[in-house]
Amino acid sequence: MASLSYREKSLYASLIAEVVIYVPYFFLHGHDSVIKVAAMIIGIIILQVILQTVIAVYTRNRLTDERDRLIELRGYRAGYFTFASLMLLGLALLWFHASIGHLHLDSARMSLHFLSVFFGMLVIADITKTAAQLIAYRRAL
Amino acid sequence: MPAIRNQIRELRAAREMTQQDLADQVGVTRQTVIAIEQDKYSPSLETAFKVALALGVTLEQCFQFDPSGKR
Repeated sequence: MASLSYREKSLYASLIAEVVIYVPYFFLHGHDSVIKVAAMIIGIIILQVILQTVIAVYTRNRLTDERDRLIELRGYRAGYFTFASLMLLGLALLWFHASIGHLHLDSARMSLHFLSVFFGMLVIADITKTAAQLIAYRRAL
Repeated sequence: MPAIRNQIRELRAAREMTQQDLADQVGVTRQTVIAIEQDKYSPSLETAFKVALALGVTLEQCFQFDPSGKR
């Protein structure tokens, strides 16, 4: 860890927090409760604050430079493309289900399901962003 | 071959300057100095001037541009 920059350590912590909180939510607990979504958001905030504080305390040099900013932008670009692709896929699936009459938008459960799917897209895009930034750091850019 | 190459490692070694020393003088991280030395990252013009200034050489002595190299 000594050879890693402050930003890189921070990104690893973010990725760990995202995977630890999001993966169990989406693969173990299902996704049909507003309370669970709220608990997950609170959980990730608390875990991020703890991890980032520990890293800040134990990292002497917290300098960020132009390369860090460029890598950050590349990460956001990867995240945006992922999110846009997932949105297109989601809309195509929505259109498909609507065309064959399997869609009942009036039910509350369906609305919650849509919210959860939308949130899942954001999560995948966020993890992609962080992973793309880490890959850029490992490749030196 | 990369489009922009540099002699930072040699110039730094001649001055017995560490990567961290150079990074501190230029205002970048040590990882950025490593990436520049390995020709994996082309710095901004401002940073390139700062590197040359820290090493006490001109920009051309420090960085070379090869038009046939890949970006």
